[in-house]
Amino acid sequence: MGMGQDNLNKVNQVMEASVVIVGGGPAGLAAAVRLYDRGVTDLLILERENKLGGILKQCIHDGFGLTRFGESLSGPEYADRFIQEVKQRNIRFITDTTVIQITPDHDVYAAHRDGLLHVRARAVILAMGCRERTRGALAIPGTRPAGVLTAGVAQAYMNLQNRMPGKKIVILGSGDIGLIMARRLTLEGAHVLGVFEINPIPSGLPRNIQQCLNDYGIPLFLSHTVTDIRGTDRLQEVVVSKVDEKLQPLAGTEKVYACDTLILSVGLIPENELTIGAGAELCPQTGGAYVDEWYQTTVPGLFAAGNVLHVHDLVDFVSLEAETMAEGVVRYLNGALPNASIALRCGKNIGHTVPQKISGTENVVVTLRVRAPQKDAEIVIRQGKAMVARKRVRNALPANMIEIHLLKDQLTGGQDLEVSVND
Amino acid sequence: MEVYDVAVIGAGVVGCAVARELSRYRLNVLVLEKELDVATGNSSRNTGMLHAGFTYKLGSRRARYSVEGNQEFDEVAAELGIPFKRTGKLVVGFTDHDRANILKFKANGEANGVRGIRMIDAEEMHRIEPNAGGNFAMYVPSSGILDPMQYTIALGENACKNGAQFRFGSRVTGIVRVGHEALPKTLLTDRKVQAMQLSEEEDLYRITTNRGMIYAKWVVNSAGAYANEIGRLLGYNPVPQVGYKGEYYVLDKKAGAYLRTPVYPAPKDNGGFVTHATPTVDGNILVGPDWYYTHIPEDYANEKQSLDRLFEDGRKMFTKMERRFFIRNFAGIRWRNIDPETREILDFSIRADETIPNTVSLVGIESPGVTAALPIARRITSLICGREEEHGHLVAANENFDPKRKVYKRFSEMTLEEKAEAIRENPDYGQIFCRCENVTRAEILRAIHNPLGVHTLTGIKNRTRSMMGRCQGGYCQTRITELLEQELGVRPEDLRYQKENGWLFTGLMRSAEKED
Amino acid sequence: MIKEMTCVVCPNGCLLQVEYEKQGDQVAIQRITGNLCKRGLEYARQEMVSPRRTIASSILVEGGSMPLVSVRTSGPIPKAMIFPVMAEIRKCSVKAPVQAGTVLIPNVLDLGVDIIATRTVE
Repeated sequence: MGMGQDNLNKVNQVMEASVVIVGGGPAGLAAAVRLYDRGVTDLLILERENKLGGILKQCIHDGFGLTRFGESLSGPEYADRFIQEVKQRNIRFITDTTVIQITPDHDVYAAHRDGLLHVRARAVILAMGCRERTRGALAIPGTRPAGVLTAGVAQAYMNLQNRMPGKKIVILGSGDIGLIMARRLTLEGAHVLGVFEINPIPSGLPRNIQQCLNDYGIPLFLSHTVTDIRGTDRLQEVVVSKVDEKLQPLAGTEKVYACDTLILSVGLIPENELTIGAGAELCPQTGGAYVDEWYQTTVPGLFAAGNVLHVHDLVDFVSLEAETMAEGVVRYLNGALPNASIALRCGKNIGHTVPQKISGTENVVVTLRVRAPQKDAEIVIRQGKAMVARKRVRNALPANMIEIHLLKDQLTGGQDLEVSVND
Repeated sequence: MEVYDVAVIGAGVVGCAVARELSRYRLNVLVLEKELDVATGNSSRNTGMLHAGFTYKLGSRRARYSVEGNQEFDEVAAELGIPFKRTGKLVVGFTDHDRANILKFKANGEANGVRGIRMIDAEEMHRIEPNAGGNFAMYVPSSGILDPMQYTIALGENACKNGAQFRFGSRVTGIVRVGHEALPKTLLTDRKVQAMQLSEEEDLYRITTNRGMIYAKWVVNSAGAYANEIGRLLGYNPVPQVGYKGEYYVLDKKAGAYLRTPVYPAPKDNGGFVTHATPTVDGNILVGPDWYYTHIPEDYANEKQSLDRLFEDGRKMFTKMERRFFIRNFAGIRWRNIDPETREILDFSIRADETIPNTVSLVGIESPGVTAALPIARRITSLICGREEEHGHLVAANENFDPKRKVYKRFSEMTLEEKAEAIRENPDYGQIFCRCENVTRAEILRAIHNPLGVHTLTGIKNRTRSMMGRCQGGYCQTRITELLEQELGVRPEDLRYQKENGWLFTGLMRSAEKED
Repeated sequence: MIKEMTCVVCPNGCLLQVEYEKQGDQVAIQRITGNLCKRGLEYARQEMVSPRRTIASSILVEGGSMPLVSVRTSGPIPKAMIFPVMAEIRKCSVKAPVQAGTVLIPNVLDLGVDIIATRTVE
């Protein structure tokens, strides 16, 4: 049930909710449904856009849902599955509402046309998702003309607003959104000159390399990056160079591509301004909050799941993670959340883990990414000298999230754990 | 036929300040700008320091104007409603050699009339700025920080409010002095021209632009990077110049928490400062500039070599200079007047030769141009009024002149109570467009309908801080372009990013007109 | 002969090896390896005979809360027909409201596949 005008006119009074969910995208929706089904019905989802669904609304391609639903859906259809579940349960949500502040005591303030909302909650779920890395974040040299945009912005323009962002396209970065946009632009009559990836391996899924690039004869150049952007008014050309093993451009390999649009698909960064404001500590490796196995941040009663916590490969994993988190929120509300004091440290070739702390009282699925590609990698978790979990991975790539099961019975006490990859 | 008392060429900080000061009088002022907004050149491509004036040569214009501009700026900022912080500045040193160089500046600054400079020890230095490195410092309390873009917009808007007109996208291509006898009859019978009561010795300038022709009695050349070019059209010999290009990193507000006061390292023996870190009024950090020569007037591209070097240098001095804080880069050029023989840096060139009557040509107004803009503008205004009086034309004060610009507090800077109140009064405040900087629909709408009639996307950005945060418009850009189209009633292909041909869309992806 | 291909059925993106013989115009598949599931076998067989893909796009909506409704093919279509189908999608426009799941172009180009709306536009 969307919130009616009558209720919103009372915004200067304090509203109450057991749980406020910040963000009505895949993480927020999945958490809401699971919480409701566990008996926490006094929920409030705050969504800043005018519809629920988050970024999925603009992801019109198919391929979502194979893990969660066992069938291949488009983004809007995947979102709609959860939206229908939310609506069937009459879970409260308010759209066009941007949360501007969360306090450590779970006071949530949000801006809406009808007033400033103040909701007092027992627990708050952070589900704001992530942002795209921009040109400025990479410090790409050159001029600053029109026509340099991130893949997600190009996608929103095309799929939501019916605007054509350009005709002659170069794509930097082989992230999945970039690959999807290469195909989308081609289908709409644009000429995609190539996708350039600084790393020696693509960062998007192999299936997208096949069905978005190879199917349309769009070349992929690995170990290449954009080293200059030219044009004063509108983009006129980009210069692309090969890079060495240290990812530094090699002089003499420059090639000029005349184009009117440069699309960037160079990574995603969790969006955590509100998280910091609420006093939670962030993990520099993930860009998200430090969490325990129930996805509770360092602020009691403040939980995070989905891309706001760490960037996922597939939306299915976002939903699943949010559902696990919801179980933790239920325990928290019942005062039964165990204290997590065992830290997981990243050892050899491990970029990060989620969670970063566990209680040792539950079996836990640890998600991680390797730092460098490794064939036939054996991922191990050690506690002191004892090996408490291990997993073999055929081809461990930084682009792929890896899950490893850690069984509580294997633990030998409260000592910290180290996760690493064996040679 | 369009006739003005004064044509100002160039809507940088100086051009806008001149227009604003002239608007204190009953003069028809037109500002011609080749770009689609004010301050697209070097006026905004700098550190945004309100300089104290301790580095410039005693008695020079740069010294006098910066001291004057600095002293009055609290009042100016309040009048124009722009963010400004008198942060003070630390020039830090480690060695006795550094101390000697710093003391030279101290003496120079005191001679220039800069008040309150003092040497401080490490303890006091760390009280002022906990993250400054160094064993001692010179503290200059009068230095401050401002947003030169906001300042120029404010000057332009205030000029506009008081009657000055702005024409954007108008590049001056020719200036001809037309003798009184040669003026078209239709012009001499024009009401505006008759009101000028021109004597037979008084001529007009015919200025051609890519957007038509105008006549003006006075021409002020404040064309910045193109000042020598416009000067030449007026008949002035070019001033020898060298372009010092510098590049910058803009760092996230998260890094901003680590620095409140601009910290400069001790000057080198030749008196030059190396790369430094400066907080901005909005809470970001600027790291830069480096410098190298350029000959190209608008060479604003960032170079890889330069960015790499700047990163290395910046890290030494500002330890929080980390890649994850990168938001954006930019570059600017100081077109400095030099003695071609000795290569010595010369002062601002301000000329109003009697042989080229009714002209003022400003060349080489580089740093501290932002601080000096109003002092320069006042002098030009009194020069114009004085010369007019000499010719028997009394220039009356503009009795409607209002030095104040209406300020709207940013939503992001309001308290929760103020936010609630703002939304109650105007529901558009309840709709947040920019998630990074918390810019509301109300603020975007106000920017779209700005007094200067600027309609570029960067114009909205510079007036609101939308698209300036972490995601650089990833969330709000699509909403802003949609609103721009609606409010202006234009087609998608008519929107402009920053410049004349900087289109954003080729058009609609699907339209009702069927394709063949 | 051996042909390698990336299975596009699911995010695993298995690298498949297909051993086959060419008999005139016919392809006789002898062995398929590299697949983690049965769908990989099916994909490889189809890919050897006539590659098919599902495509997603948008159709113009008149009088709706959004200018476009997202659509996809109800099943895979021959690769060679992608651009002809796109041309049909481009020609089409519908009046709001549109319900998710509505068939907007039935049996597009006689391919036995529909173009269906994947979201609701009011």
